[in-house]
Amino acid sequence: MRPRILRKSNARVVSLPTARTSLRSVDTQWEPAESPQLWVGTHILSLKGAATLEKLATRAQRFTPRVSLVAPDGLLLEVKGSLHLFEGVDGLLRAFSQDCEAVGIESTVALAPTPLAAMVAARVGRPFVVTNKAQLVGRLTALPLGPLRWPDDVVARLARMGVRTIGQALRLPRAGFARRFGPAHLRELDRLTGRSADLRHHFQPRERFRRRRELTYEMEDKATILAAFAPLLADLGKFLELRQCGITELECRLRHRHASPSMCVLRLAAPVADVARITELLGERLNALVLPEPVRSCELRSGLPVLRVLSCDSLWQPGEYGSSSGPESPQLVERLRARLGHEAVYGLQMLPGHRPERAWAMCEPVTATRPVDSRRAGASGPTVSGSAGARGVGGRGGPNTVAPGARSLELVPPWAAFRQPLWLLPAPQQLEEIEGVPRRRGTLRFFGDVERIETGWWDGGEIGRDYYTVFDIYGVQLWIFRERADPHRWFLHGVFG
Amino acid sequence: MAVNSELARLLEHPAIWRGTSVARAEVLPSGFAALDERLPGGGWPRSGLIEILVSRLGVGELTLLLPLLAALTSGPQARSCVWVAPPFEPFAPALAAHGVALERVLVVRVPAAQKRLRGGALWAFEQALGSGACDLVMAWAKRPRGKEVRRLQLSAERGRTLGVLFRPSQAAGESSHAALRMTVEPSAYGVRVNLLKSKGGVRGCVEINLLPAGN
Repeated sequence: MRPRILRKSNARVVSLPTARTSLRSVDTQWEPAESPQLWVGTHILSLKGAATLEKLATRAQRFTPRVSLVAPDGLLLEVKGSLHLFEGVDGLLRAFSQDCEAVGIESTVALAPTPLAAMVAARVGRPFVVTNKAQLVGRLTALPLGPLRWPDDVVARLARMGVRTIGQALRLPRAGFARRFGPAHLRELDRLTGRSADLRHHFQPRERFRRRRELTYEMEDKATILAAFAPLLADLGKFLELRQCGITELECRLRHRHASPSMCVLRLAAPVADVARITELLGERLNALVLPEPVRSCELRSGLPVLRVLSCDSLWQPGEYGSSSGPESPQLVERLRARLGHEAVYGLQMLPGHRPERAWAMCEPVTATRPVDSRRAGASGPTVSGSAGARGVGGRGGPNTVAPGARSLELVPPWAAFRQPLWLLPAPQQLEEIEGVPRRRGTLRFFGDVERIETGWWDGGEIGRDYYTVFDIYGVQLWIFRERADPHRWFLHGVFG
Repeated sequence: MAVNSELARLLEHPAIWRGTSVARAEVLPSGFAALDERLPGGGWPRSGLIEILVSRLGVGELTLLLPLLAALTSGPQARSCVWVAPPFEPFAPALAAHGVALERVLVVRVPAAQKRLRGGALWAFEQALGSGACDLVMAWAKRPRGKEVRRLQLSAERGRTLGVLFRPSQAAGESSHAALRMTVEPSAYGVRVNLLKSKGGVRGCVEINLLPAGN
């Protein structure tokens, strides 16, 4: 790519298009209005999802670094500086349409000195190549108003006035047009003809870090392999530092002579750019990996970089003077997950409903420190217990309205808490019984009242159970239930702990 | 006189231990008056390792810790409370009903493949203790060795974390570096706690009524 020279008054500004370091959020829209431009507008007729458009945009960057997307089905390329590289307009358009075909996109293309004109002409679909700005308005007059994509009522009102083409709209008095149809549409006409500047966001490809290193000899020792990753990780650190980004996903591939590559994927709870930390986690992962053969080459592939939000560290150590956990908690979760697997670490969440199995769920651990509402202490769970005798909880009907996020603040008598066990078995365990009386390592002593849970008819997970509290001969308090339906089996479901 | 007050002030320093008294350490009330009387300093320590030896899982050892769990998780600056390799699933509604803030609870399961490698759960326990990100870490481990318990105790002190290790009561005869060791047995209305080892506290049995008043 050659340096682009922009002229503005007497100053010469040289900008190198190679530095693609800026992020999407950084606006790179400054364009001197007076510099001559030439835009290729592409209207995509058959589009297969946004990924295809981005693929084309990435490919189109070989023509110019100034590519911008026009959602949902357009692409603009500023090609003034690149024309001579592709043997003029014809050569460039031919090369571009070949690229479109290669990506699998059917499109119509137009060339005009302003981006909006190029886009509108491409939408019309007729051959339209204007390189001279003086000819632009003349060529635009015949085009219909539809491709401007103005609101239907505006187009309909213009049509009632007998205005059906762009030329007719341009001929209307400016003040009257702005009063009737709003200044926004007048500004759009100005951008169309090049009377005012049209600033466009440049497309920034979504970059990922990917680097491979061939090893000089085959390695088997995990520590040596980790050391071989060091230069790659250092590169990754620089890559992330430049972009002020962190990664949440990193894939590491180890190639062997015969066997298929070994892979391990590192997933992080929060964006990380700290190479030392990534190295530590990668080391944990490598230790858990079983290698079929010695390693010949290693490769790192990152997920999409995520913009990092930096925060201040606390003066106190965590736990000191009531200091919060700060960033250590996600680190702990990551370290545990790196060795034990992603599913091994989870948080708990309450769900509305009375079925014990569905009254809770695993959830992603809450790692950020959030102040906990002190009113919540002593707040009750959604389960309601019968106080005297069997009471049909299912009779209340309908799902409980307690949302998992906003837990109920409803206060229940403190003994209600003692009706539920602290431990739940992963699945109810059937108990042996003698003449209808359940046993578990001896006789069971019944204690307290029975609680009936009969609910779940609306989603197919219907249960009808009578829950009892019993003590076994070792003095362990158990939560058992008897099926309401035949064959009235007994199950152990919880331990009070 | 001035020397005496100077000396008394010096002796208040938490790093100074005297044979008969307890070093001043931050404690949390256990929620049971009878237990608080016996525990060194009048409550559970804020950091260090506690061993709770139970004859069977579920005799009431978790109920004994519930007030502590609720107090530790509900503070505005609370850190995580980690359950390492619990024997069953902690029942979230019951915990919430006892005032435990579920956002602070973190469960760590040790996959079967890791269990065979020695110390899967103990490794996680040690990591959580030393990370400084947790207020309380509870672990259910089969047979930790004396050296490992020592490491756990040091990690807990480093991370200013309270570690609770649940072990079968057969281990009562073994020596341990834990700051506090106790057996928990079921009794008529609750549990009988026998303090086996208590740094600077009183040893002996204490009956605790776990049934709430009015039941």
